[in-house]
Amino acid sequence: MAASITHPALSSLYKINSNINGIYSLISFNRRISISSVRSSSAVATETEASGRGVRVSGVLVLIAQAGEPRSERMAVDQDWTAVYPTAASFKPAAVPLPVRMGYPVKRGVPPAKKGNLELIKIPNFLHLTPVAIKKHCEALKRDSVTEWPSALDSDEKCMKRFPIQVQSKEFVSAGLSLRNPDARIVTLKVKLSSLNLDDHARKKMIKLSEERYCKDTDTLTITTDSCPLRKQNYDYAMYLLTVLYHESWKTEAWEQEKTRADMEEYEWEDSPSQKKVLDTLLRMRALGAKDEVEEGTREELLGQPVVQEYRDTMLRLKNEGETEENLHKYKEAVKKLFNI
Amino acid sequence: MAACVSSIRSVRVLSKIIHGHFLPAAAVQHQASSSRWLHGTRGSALSPAVSLTEEPDTLYQELSVRVKGHDRAVLDSYEFFATLAARELGLTLDRAFEPRKHTEKLTLLKSVHIFKKHRVQYESRTHQRCIQMSRVTGSTARVYLEYIQRNLPEGVAMEVTKTSVEKIPEHIQKPLWTDCTLE
Repeated sequence: MAASITHPALSSLYKINSNINGIYSLISFNRRISISSVRSSSAVATETEASGRGVRVSGVLVLIAQAGEPRSERMAVDQDWTAVYPTAASFKPAAVPLPVRMGYPVKRGVPPAKKGNLELIKIPNFLHLTPVAIKKHCEALKRDSVTEWPSALDSDEKCMKRFPIQVQSKEFVSAGLSLRNPDARIVTLKVKLSSLNLDDHARKKMIKLSEERYCKDTDTLTITTDSCPLRKQNYDYAMYLLTVLYHESWKTEAWEQEKTRADMEEYEWEDSPSQKKVLDTLLRMRALGAKDEVEEGTREELLGQPVVQEYRDTMLRLKNEGETEENLHKYKEAVKKLFNI
Repeated sequence: MAACVSSIRSVRVLSKIIHGHFLPAAAVQHQASSSRWLHGTRGSALSPAVSLTEEPDTLYQELSVRVKGHDRAVLDSYEFFATLAARELGLTLDRAFEPRKHTEKLTLLKSVHIFKKHRVQYESRTHQRCIQMSRVTGSTARVYLEYIQRNLPEGVAMEVTKTSVEKIPEHIQKPLWTDCTLE
């Protein structure tokens, strides 16, 4: 009998994919077969069966591949990890030299070890994105097309002064039945009316034209467009709307002369019933025996008095800003001064 | 010649890190030559593959990246990656916070037939992270977003909100009609 040498190459020669219960087996053989010495087949069979490397499946001796030493044993501590996991890959327990455990613990035990652990393979890992790897990537990216923000625009106010129009849009990345997201086409354009070249009439007309798109507190006009299928088209449409609003508000149509008191945006004291009442009251307050008719000169004089002006201010504040404690208090003071109480 | 060979090898490793596969030989040769060119002229910052255009770069006043997923640990790691990448590329990070998770609950009948009183409840939790950056240029944003999006893990969705600032266009600066009245 020839001396039996357990050739380690033999164990890696055969790859078996079989159901050991003997229902069926699929065996694939590697073509490279090197046999160091010629031995009788029966001797080889008994020897492999004894050593545990072979199993009899329905009379056929099937060799089981034995795992060698995991690669993690031979890894140096200061190795280049970016070479082990250069891109996103599933968790390979033999390639990761960490004693990781994951899963629900066995009764009165610990979570299962990493070898053959499906939980570790299922979860996305970030082994390819270590801080060293990220820094390497960013170094390479910085060399390419990364530009700096202009240093003169370091605060928000400077930005808004130079670039008053703000355009907002969204992008979506997700995996599903479809890559598209219809919300990606929506474009929102925001601009402060104070930054546009508008006169008084144009500003009022623009506010009236934009109705609910204008916010009085922040003086912002917000145009949201989603009627076109592409983002670029919606952006162009928003700019077109802004242009049209601007130019239309500078025009004065013939029918704008018919603007009544009810159409006014703010309360005006001139020619208001309040002014007439004040005038009337002041005239009655004059010394008895004065003339009944009023001349233009005296009317202007009466209205020009500081008490009347103060009353006018408080009335404007009450009507335009609303009724607050402070406003009502000032109104009371103004009325008292008017009547010399 | 040895230096050339070593530089080609380093370029191949670098390309493998970035692209995940070895580039074909022609492209690698070009990269090798470009890397040699870079070593030679240290002053220039751009490789020959990148060109400057006359078109002004868009300016983003705010860039907000919101990621959503079912696993909080994955989002933790992703946040670390995104914030580190932003810092390395020189972006100003405003804040990185965690909006409240959204839970969707479902109450179904436990049995196939009758037993209305016995139900089973399922829930689906969606965790979120939001990373806000301010004052980013268009090309930097493009590079950063592509890098972030290519490394988005499985099962995580992303929503990017960009707010760009622009000047008032030429046609809005002055009114067309100098005499305002139009009869």
